[in-house]
Amino acid sequence: MKNIHLSLYLMLGLLILTQKNTQAQSLRISYYGETITHYGLKTAYEYPIFSKIKERNQSRKMLLIAPSAALYRHPRNHFGIIIAPELIYRRIGKRGTLLEAGIAPAYFRYFLEGSTYQVTANGELERIRYAGGNAFLPTVFVGTGRALSVRRGLSFDWYTRLNISQQRPYNTSALTRFSLEIGAIFPFKKQ
Amino acid sequence: MKTIHKLFTSLAIILILVSCKDQDVEPTEQKTLFLRHKGADMPVWVHGNAQSNKIVLYLHGGPGDCAMCYRYYFKELENDMMVAYWDQRVAGASSGKVDSATLRYAQFSEDAFYVVKLLKQQYPNAQIYLLAHSFGVELAWQFLTTNNNQQMISGLMAVNGMFSYYRWLYHVREWALREAKKQNNAEAERELMANPVTLENTATVNWELIYRWMHKLGGNPVSLYDDKKYLANYAFASPNTALAQFTHSKAYSYYGEVESRLFEKGALLKNIRIPVRLFWGVKDGVVPVEVGRETQQLLTNTSVSTVEFSQSWHEPFITETQEFNNAVRSFVK
Repeated sequence: MKNIHLSLYLMLGLLILTQKNTQAQSLRISYYGETITHYGLKTAYEYPIFSKIKERNQSRKMLLIAPSAALYRHPRNHFGIIIAPELIYRRIGKRGTLLEAGIAPAYFRYFLEGSTYQVTANGELERIRYAGGNAFLPTVFVGTGRALSVRRGLSFDWYTRLNISQQRPYNTSALTRFSLEIGAIFPFKKQ
Repeated sequence: MKTIHKLFTSLAIILILVSCKDQDVEPTEQKTLFLRHKGADMPVWVHGNAQSNKIVLYLHGGPGDCAMCYRYYFKELENDMMVAYWDQRVAGASSGKVDSATLRYAQFSEDAFYVVKLLKQQYPNAQIYLLAHSFGVELAWQFLTTNNNQQMISGLMAVNGMFSYYRWLYHVREWALREAKKQNNAEAERELMANPVTLENTATVNWELIYRWMHKLGGNPVSLYDDKKYLANYAFASPNTALAQFTHSKAYSYYGEVESRLFEKGALLKNIRIPVRLFWGVKDGVVPVEVGRETQQLLTNTSVSTVEFSQSWHEPFITETQEFNNAVRSFVK
């Protein structure tokens, strides 16, 4: 529970911080899912806290923070909402190759997709609306893509990312989850 | 503009017609229910012919296995009855925050009671039958010999499962010894002979050694992973959380080391009054057919029938699916 609160406070802190300056910030929108049948959407607001361009090969290194939110559906099982403050290291090569890695101490909220009945103290069954649960979902990820702004002059980049998360608690311990993102990054101002 | 107007008018007419249809019971039921009890959120998927007013509640094995993952084999039954696939606590797609101290027979039986109660509440006119496999059979005996629970049930189909840990392990060793001799495996024979199973040593005997030899000697060569179609169905069409399946077994160490070793329902089987059909894969080494034959002798106060599957091991519904489903149909009829 302490970890869940920490995730939410971090997320709130980042949202306040990213309001200050829109220079070099970007919006990320992607498909998010465990498989094609567990599908969803994710969006994030990226804010650079460090950026350096190497003069020799014009490659760019960045450290970004990004409040993000994902929604997905695992049919006949649950709907999931993942809110995460992400910390991303990203490198864009001179030809536009994008490589990234990062961490996200995420908050996970899920709603069971079905009518849920709880056993009451006197042994009766009582319907509960919006039944589900809360969990801490620490995540690490690696990604790759192409910054189309570098050579083609387009105003967006594409990327794909593999997330490895651990849901805590899950039954008697924890559950490792894998998920994929495929999407685009839209800078607010041309850099 | 005219085209858009026409399109909207047509759509509105279709929607009105659709909403005016009879609100009778849907012929095909597809419902997802969850039972929340003592930390666990346990899914119960109900599929099939709602007009039959018969529900077969599948009690999966394991413990820690899954129910819906076997729908691939039972789906055909849904034409004639409803099948309720229940994932037990810390199994299949069950979730929540569960204390491992609840992983006891008594708790599984209590969960089963509320699952049946929930089904009776949702389908007040339906008769409920249990289809129990392996650990599910242990759960069924626990449930049916507790209080008046059997009054809620119209019949039990027990598939390759035990009523007594002692009699189970005794027969597993006998099965392995027979095979060791047949296969001229001197090492297996020597080790099995050195580990006899008696009523007195049941709680301490090296059961893993006996179990390992049984498997090595071909006690259950059937692997779901060999069936690519099944795997694709599991990965993309089942509501299971694929990786969760591999995390459950860790929670059952107490069950394996203590709880299951004390399991003994032999003396209580005479209290069973509901019809029972025993389904057995006769080549099974995991729960040998002799366990089934002993079960039949102990069920002295009810009608018992047995269906043996000559080409099957531990899961006859996988190896002889058609014959298995026909036997279920004829029992539930």
